[in-house]
Amino acid sequence: MDELIAKYNEGLADPSELKWIEQLIESGEIELTQLHELTALDNHLMNMEAPAPTLRLDDQFYTMLATEKRKQRANKFSFSLPDWNVLFPRLAFAMVILIIGFSAGYLFTGSPQNDDVHVLTQEVSDLKEMMMFSLLEKESASERLKAVNLTSGMDNVSSKVTAALFQTLNSDENVNVRLAALDALLPYVKDSAVREGLVESISHQDSPLVQVALAELMVSIAEKKSVKELQKIMDAQGTPSDVKNKIQESIRVLI
Amino acid sequence: MTKVRDGDLDKLGLLFERYKRPLYGFFYGMNREQELSEDLVQNTFLRILKYKHLFRGEGDFRAWMFHIARNVNIDHHRKNKIKAKDDVEDWHNKLGHHENRSTEMQEDEEKQMLSMAMDRLPEEKREILLLSKYQEKKYQEIGEILGCTESAVKVKVFRALQELKVIYKQLEKSM
Repeated sequence: MDELIAKYNEGLADPSELKWIEQLIESGEIELTQLHELTALDNHLMNMEAPAPTLRLDDQFYTMLATEKRKQRANKFSFSLPDWNVLFPRLAFAMVILIIGFSAGYLFTGSPQNDDVHVLTQEVSDLKEMMMFSLLEKESASERLKAVNLTSGMDNVSSKVTAALFQTLNSDENVNVRLAALDALLPYVKDSAVREGLVESISHQDSPLVQVALAELMVSIAEKKSVKELQKIMDAQGTPSDVKNKIQESIRVLI
Repeated sequence: MTKVRDGDLDKLGLLFERYKRPLYGFFYGMNREQELSEDLVQNTFLRILKYKHLFRGEGDFRAWMFHIARNVNIDHHRKNKIKAKDDVEDWHNKLGHHENRSTEMQEDEEKQMLSMAMDRLPEEKREILLLSKYQEKKYQEIGEILGCTESAVKVKVFRALQELKVIYKQLEKSM
């Protein structure tokens, strides 16, 4: 092999020997550095100074780079519409997590708290009712007004409360208290028992103010059953003419 | 390059400054046209930007870059169907051209001859020698660029140098 290399370096290797050298290079038995003549040429090649580009290349490159950086910044700060295909699964996942969170919260902590709140609300209502009954017994009209107004803070009133309000509406000596009781009953007019109570109450009223207020209420709730009771007031001798006119008008609307 | 891949585009400027000359040398060696070679360097960096996410950071950046550069050159020629074949009659003109330029640039005659011999090499052989030069004889990495083994690269370099030597000697005689 040394002879072959020596022959090559002297420039005497024939084509078949060149082929053999190739095979030896491929198998790693000969390194290119051993072939001095070629190495000299290769070194000349390596030492050849690389040509230099002009400033045009720098201009082109840095213009391109500045453009790319601008694009990158624009992408970073703009609120462009996100890819829906990417966003949708994320939103869906977020929603699922949110629902699971709420459900878990409701299941694990909701019930006992709700029960507590419910019990507490009930207790407050009971207290208010007791207070109301106690105040309605007072002699002072303002105390009784307070009692009637207490019902406005109650979510659901019991039949005992509505009965007490009707009692006040029908028999309280103070007109203002009666009117307040009427106002207090307004939220419950959908209840048929309350409506019947109101119709029945018409005949108990001797105050023109309460009579007119009731007549207006009957019109607003379109309670035709009240016509007979209103007619009785119309027919009564002591009824002032203004009240009669008002009730007449109400009856006409109701009919 | 990993920083460029992760979005730090300023670092591409550093890579450009480091590699613009070897890249330009490669393209100029392949095409012998200044403007075209500059455009191809620019195209190489554009592709580096475009495909930066494909750089895995494991191998040598220079090899990856020359792999792209080689494709840029091939694509250009495929697109323009340029065949860099010099006529024998044109050879002497070119020789004169190189002589003039060498005088201007005060390069020695030997290097001029070598440069001319390179021009006469078939494209494939010129390419392997230019890659060997600008890839600093890292044959394993050249193998990665060309898609062949290190030993196959050595054989290719041997054949290319062998032919270069023959052309060089012919030029010496003709001078």
